[in-house]
Amino acid sequence: MRNGKRRVATFQDLVLALHEYWRDQGCVIFEPYDVEKGAGTFNPATFFGCLGPDPWRVAYIEPSRRPTDGRYGENPIRLRLHHQYQVILKPPPPDIQDLYLGSLEYVGIELRDHDVKFSEDDWESPTLGAWGVGWQVWLDEMEITQFTYFQQMGGMDLDPVSVELTYGLERIAIFLQGVESAFELNWSADVKYGEIWHEKERQFSIYNFERADVERIRKMFELAEAEAKACLEAGLVFPAYDHTLHCSHLFNVLDARGAISVAERESYIARIRELARGCAKGYLKLLEERRARVLA
Amino acid sequence: MPEFLLEVGTEELPALDAPVLARALGDKLAQVLKEERLGFSGMEIHWTPRRLAVLVRGLAERQADLVEEVRGPAVAVGLDPQGNPTQAALGFLRKYGASPQDLKRKVVGEKEYLFLEVRTPGKPAREVLVGIIPDLLRSLPCRKTMRWDSSGVAFLRPIRWLVCLLDGEVLSVRYGNLTADRVTRGHRFFGPRELVLNSPAEYVEKLREARVIADPGERERMIQDAAKGVEGEHGVRALWTEELLGILVGSLEWPSPVLGKFPSEFLDLPAPVIAAVLHEEGKFVPFARNGEPAPVFLGFRDGKEDEKGYVRKGYERVVKARLRDARFFFENDLKRPLAERVLDLREIVYEARLGSVWDKVQRIREICKHLVDSLGLDGEQGTLLDRAAFLCKADLTTEMVREFPELQGVMGGIYARHFGEPEEVAVAIEEHLLPRTRADELPESTLGTVLSLADKLDTVMGAILIGEVPTGSRDPYGIRRAANALISLILRKGLVVDLFSTIDAALELYPQIPEGRDAGAVKGFLVERLRHIIRDDFGIPHDIAEAVLAVPRGDFLGALERARALASLGRDAALAELAQIFERLRNITKGHELTSFDPELFQQEEERELWREYLKAEGRVRQALANRDFAGALEALLPLGGPLHRYFEKVFVMVEDERIRENRLSFLRALLSLFLEIGDLSVLSV
Repeated sequence: MRNGKRRVATFQDLVLALHEYWRDQGCVIFEPYDVEKGAGTFNPATFFGCLGPDPWRVAYIEPSRRPTDGRYGENPIRLRLHHQYQVILKPPPPDIQDLYLGSLEYVGIELRDHDVKFSEDDWESPTLGAWGVGWQVWLDEMEITQFTYFQQMGGMDLDPVSVELTYGLERIAIFLQGVESAFELNWSADVKYGEIWHEKERQFSIYNFERADVERIRKMFELAEAEAKACLEAGLVFPAYDHTLHCSHLFNVLDARGAISVAERESYIARIRELARGCAKGYLKLLEERRARVLA
Repeated sequence: MPEFLLEVGTEELPALDAPVLARALGDKLAQVLKEERLGFSGMEIHWTPRRLAVLVRGLAERQADLVEEVRGPAVAVGLDPQGNPTQAALGFLRKYGASPQDLKRKVVGEKEYLFLEVRTPGKPAREVLVGIIPDLLRSLPCRKTMRWDSSGVAFLRPIRWLVCLLDGEVLSVRYGNLTADRVTRGHRFFGPRELVLNSPAEYVEKLREARVIADPGERERMIQDAAKGVEGEHGVRALWTEELLGILVGSLEWPSPVLGKFPSEFLDLPAPVIAAVLHEEGKFVPFARNGEPAPVFLGFRDGKEDEKGYVRKGYERVVKARLRDARFFFENDLKRPLAERVLDLREIVYEARLGSVWDKVQRIREICKHLVDSLGLDGEQGTLLDRAAFLCKADLTTEMVREFPELQGVMGGIYARHFGEPEEVAVAIEEHLLPRTRADELPESTLGTVLSLADKLDTVMGAILIGEVPTGSRDPYGIRRAANALISLILRKGLVVDLFSTIDAALELYPQIPEGRDAGAVKGFLVERLRHIIRDDFGIPHDIAEAVLAVPRGDFLGALERARALASLGRDAALAELAQIFERLRNITKGHELTSFDPELFQQEEERELWREYLKAEGRVRQALANRDFAGALEALLPLGGPLHRYFEKVFVMVEDERIRENRLSFLRALLSLFLEIGDLSVLSV
């Protein structure tokens, strides 16, 4: 327990504290989206929320699946599924860096006792057709947040731009709780992180690296892509986007399985980006036609 | 004399970009002040991750007056025969508010004109500065730009404040949504958020009080002094890289050293692994004692000493965790001999059409065999090289290389040594990725050099033969970089090797696919890169590069040497004449391929003279070429200029008699071929 504005003893307290902080900044507190994804950016609250002219502030936790990052539960910090805390501020206020640092103090990090650096890191998601510039934020040289000014989403230039804050919750919790491994974290007062997640890390690592059936996954990709395209043709952007997310995840599984060559990688990414672009276009059209807020 | 301060306050700039932008700000301001006729006596540039500042000393109060001569009507039009101004001249005078006695006469070309000396009084510095600053800011060269609000302004990172002070006065400059003021900001955590400046002169000292060292040179000294302190105290030597120092200077406003230690149990890790862990993200300075890693590292906190020791604990925890990871990878990797891992390469896709990394390794081995022959290596070296080629990619399957990709090759060497491979093999593996770029360090060993050449050639050939030729900025396979590194290796190591014959010999190793390209495309691509490299990296003039590459050869080193021989010739009239004659020679023999001729059929003395000179030159040229004495070959060719000149003056080549005509063309064609041994002189611009 450190000095702070809020008593944050457990993993879930950390999430609740961030919810409070960003709620007080006028954010909609959203939920994780129930389709598998590699990052909180893929949540429709970010993908669609960043598009269009309307102001939008949202915060949510997102369990993010990255098959290639799996380590069979043997690495203290490298996880196949980790929890991101995601904040979108559109347009970003001029004191956005201070607001962000305020959130660290709010969860109990005394900034003047530590070392916080904003270190150049430009972010890009070729599959989403999105990019932005910003930093990784380092706390005593441990990476805790990705801070990005989005410039494009779904291939569309953004105006206004949005700031995305992506906190690595496991890392911050490790720092706050003074432990060395994510699995040792207290999720709640009497349940450990490892008790919930360890076996899942092990099983999914085995699946992703060794067992996923490449041919079937390829077929599933084709099916999801066809479904996304059909939805786009029918003007159903939200269902189309769900299937785009499926495609993205299935691609990640194929990648972890070592089944994708350099050339194929390019073409897979291009196919997903094409779908994402279609969703972005369709969404903007929808905004225009309805002349009303259709939030993510 | 007034002082002027411009400070651009930003969110954290990328560490290595800030100095570039600061210099550009100073250079551009100096240039604009000169254009605006505002003199100054000195300029200081300051920058930190959060600010770019320029302080101008001894600035003129006002612009110098502008005196210009303005041309009016011609004298014949502007003055009547009596010398009085006409309507045309009066209009000219009215326009500049001048009277007839101000008119001057001046001859321009063949005519005499009326002139006025027009004086525009200089504007006050304040007024000029307000006008130029927004354009100055817009003109800063950003590697990449971003927007952060809807003002339309773009920069490398958001600009959050502007200070614009002329002595004690704020200049009302607007840029985007910002209005300049006298308020800067102190250190993010240890200084006041708002810091009021009364004058430009107090900029550096006020910032110092606010825990910001504005002068990058001073920060660099603080960082290096801290490292020297550690060196003295612990008997160690800091392992600096230029990049690490640049990143530290560029990412700190007040460097405060934090010395960390890691448990010495990690010292049995290979030195490159420890350095990779500490260098990661350019954060920590590693140290060595007697050439072996030392269990200390130096980090820098921004702002203030780490009084409570929390930062040191944090750094040590991070380093220990990463070293523990590295140890875990290392021990796992040592569980299987490197040679056994080679088989696993069959599971790693290199490229769908080019097969697995295993397939790549087999191709590298074949290319190596060809290179062994053409470079004249002995049998033992050939055997060692084949072993190194066999093992060179095996470290791709290790956990260490997956985690620290920059250790590829280096780990292969370490593991090879561990498993008892010959030292030459280990070194060749270690070096086989060098140079990574055209400016990178080179392999030292012969085997490492040849292996590197084979690996890069396979990368380039494979991609192009399956049709993946880079276009514009699109180069997904990194072929340009590979080709540049390959050519740079040949030129900088001075390798005499015929790349074309190696390419032809290796061709059968690659799949033939409908959208693929042929060996010609590979050669053409490499020659194109060669053209760029001899121009950009070796300073060969454009036209000489064209001349020596007109007949592409697989001997790339020879192209550079030919170019150097040509470049060493003076660009005089003799060379110009030779270039002209050469063009005639080339044009007249266009489409004629035969080079065998019969001297008996020559009819004129000029023909026989040229023939005699040709015979002399040919012997010397062939001899010189055999010795790779390109300057000598060129020297032997030069005496042909005079006889050729006379030949073209006196001999009519295209006569009716076919036998005579064809014989003359064949002779000239042979002559042309001899010249082309050096290059196509007609493209020289002399």
